Amino acid sequence: MSAAVLETENLVKVYGRGESRFDALKGLTFEIQQGESVAIVGKSGSGKSTLMHLLALLDEPTAGVVAMNGRPVSQLKSAQVSELRNETFGFVFQQFFLNANQTVLENVILPLKIAGVGPAERRRRGMEVLEQLDMADKARNRATDLSGGQKQRACIARALVNNPSVLFADEPTGNLDTATGEVVEDILFGLHRDRGITLVIVTHDDDLAARCQRRLLMQDGMIVADDSGEAVRSAGAGVGQSSREGSRRAGGHGKHAAPVVVDGPGLDGPGPDRSGPDGPDAGPTAPGAATADTVGQDENAGEERA
Amino acid sequence: MRAVDIAGTALGNTMRSKTRTFLTVIAIVIGAFTLTLTSGLGAGINKYVDTMVSGFGEIDQISIMPGADATAQMPGSSGPVAYDPAEAQATGEFGMAMLTDEDIEAIARVEHLSNVEPVVFVAAEYLETADGDRFTLQSMDLPANAAALELAAGAKPARDAMEITIPETWLEIYGTEDPEAVLGETVTVGIKDLTQQVQTVDAQIVGVSQAAISGVGASPMPSSALNEELHGLQTSGLEVEQPQAYVQAVADVEDMAANEQSVKAALSEEGFMAMTVEDQLGVITGIIDTVTWVLNGFALIALLAASFGIVNTLLMSVQERTREIGLMKALGMSGGKVFGLFSMEAVMLGIMGSVIGVGLGVVVGLAGNAALVSGPLSGVAGLSLFAVDPMALVLIVLLILAIAFLAGTMPAARAAKKDPIEALRYE
Ligand SMILES: Nc1ncnc2c1ncn2[C@@H]1O[C@H](COP(=O)(O)OP(=O)(O)OP(=O)(O)O)[C@@H](O)[C@H]1O
Ligand SMILES: [Mg+2]
Repeated sequence: MSAAVLETENLVKVYGRGESRFDALKGLTFEIQQGESVAIVGKSGSGKSTLMHLLALLDEPTAGVVAMNGRPVSQLKSAQVSELRNETFGFVFQQFFLNANQTVLENVILPLKIAGVGPAERRRRGMEVLEQLDMADKARNRATDLSGGQKQRACIARALVNNPSVLFADEPTGNLDTATGEVVEDILFGLHRDRGITLVIVTHDDDLAARCQRRLLMQDGMIVADDSGEAVRSAGAGVGQSSREGSRRAGGHGKHAAPVVVDGPGLDGPGPDRSGPDGPDAGPTAPGAATADTVGQDENAGEERA
Repeated sequence: MRAVDIAGTALGNTMRSKTRTFLTVIAIVIGAFTLTLTSGLGAGINKYVDTMVSGFGEIDQISIMPGADATAQMPGSSGPVAYDPAEAQATGEFGMAMLTDEDIEAIARVEHLSNVEPVVFVAAEYLETADGDRFTLQSMDLPANAAALELAAGAKPARDAMEITIPETWLEIYGTEDPEAVLGETVTVGIKDLTQQVQTVDAQIVGVSQAAISGVGASPMPSSALNEELHGLQTSGLEVEQPQAYVQAVADVEDMAANEQSVKAALSEEGFMAMTVEDQLGVITGIIDTVTWVLNGFALIALLAASFGIVNTLLMSVQERTREIGLMKALGMSGGKVFGLFSMEAVMLGIMGSVIGVGLGVVVGLAGNAALVSGPLSGVAGLSLFAVDPMALVLIVLLILAIAFLAGTMPAARAAKKDPIEALRYE
């Protein structure tokens, strides 16, 4: 089996304290293997983004361990963590976070600039990745002049420019129409297939989730289902634990249990299979509606706890 | 991130909101401009004083005044004092202590001093040319000021000869512009004695003077002998012997460098105060320096105000760019580099403001100096009101950069502390 690139043990994240205390993650233990494609799905406010931020070393857990390549991250200095993020991770954020006053190319090479790569090399690699994404002709345009899909591709280019081994994407297709969303998906899975990049994708889009080798279903800060076809049976202790916990929780929430029964036939082959078995297993929310709801539901979640 | 990239990015960021940058920079420019002008003014005038001093060469003259005896002079500071004619010092018009003839003799006895001369003020009536034209002689320069006299032509009046210099502005009485032309002309000075009878003395023009900023050379200057003669005439006419009183006396010091201290000590023992020309110029320089520093203080206040402008601008910038900061941190930029980026922006504002301000200050200072020196103040020889001191300019720029950097630290620290997650959530 391939090695675990990321593993967590009893991961806990608590926001606030006292009255406003909120347990966003309630003790998660699992592994993500090198070269795996993992979808994190679940209702809005269930803790998906929180989990992704912890995995991506953008945030520190309240308790528990995140280990990278077998080494607990808490042992690293913050400068080393920054360097690690810069060199091994790529990020596609839910919002584009493109600098409006810079050109597409300048936006794309930001990670290289931060890494201290020289200007000529920056340009070369920036253009290379833009060409891969059919965006070379837009390199000199200002980022604001792009269409939504082009912006998303610029973001993906930025995430890829430093040749990351793990790509984190939070709702990469959330802002896009179905057709453009598919283009972006094809790009992501193409990279996964061709370069062996590990994909960690947070999404409300069931089609996208279905294309991943593995789906982690989150609910109220816990992983209630870990569905990875054949992998679920042969997985290590960590995955086993969360699976057990998942099934226990699943009993009380029949509605959300649906994805658990999803089998992953043909998951290794992206594309045509998507429309097959995934249709009836549509998750808790419809694509599109989920994005629209996100803000409101987050607010509600906050108010309930306050 | 490389230093050059940080600098480039910082510059680019300051150019983003041009109006805001412009307004912030203006505040710095005002401070830098004022600081450049005031320090240039101080440097210019001090340079003028310096050239004056060096123009004198070895000055071996010393001025002697009655020592400051505070208790004796302060009216009402003590009860009535018994009158003692021997002890009593002569008192001048303004209640100032004056030197008596005995004092002059006492001074003359001090070692290394020669040519002790009381300074007397002469109020002459008129100056008459050989052609018989008369001109009012409202004031005459003191012969004691001869050391500081700047000449356009000729020589200073010789101590023992009946000689006089006239200022350049008086050339018109001979209808000429050439100072050499009037040398050797004989003039007659008329003066009233105590019985209001006009007495006359003949003197020869030996030099044409230029007015200095101190006023020396702005009016005709008689030689010591001529001055004495006029003073004698002025106080003659009555049978009664007049007791003499002088504001100060001047004397030549033999080997000033070696004997200055001993002469001063001896004089102060006798109850006199002595000042060399350098001492007197030192007082002027001190006043100029004080005024310069007061003006510099105002400029610094302007800079202080400008620094709050920088703080404000950068805080707004940090606030506006919260997401961008979050993105950079998420993409692996360390807090230290973020701090560097924002303090660099402050420094960029400082560079723009100081370079523009200092440049403007130099241009305006030099132009103003040229306009004044060749215009209204053209009569003052060798005058400079503004001088460029490259060292001072560099210091001003560095000072402003330091202020800008300090002003930038607070917003920069705030940016560096931002949590990437919080920042990316920020709407
Ligand atoms: N900084 C914070 N302070 C307090 N509560 C927070 C904070 N960040 C997140 N939360 C809460 O933690 C919970 C999980 O948030 P998270 O962003 O992980 O949800 P999510 O699963 O990504 O939802 P969505 O699908 O809407 O993006 C939410 O209830 C949210 O209100
Ligand atoms: Mg989220």
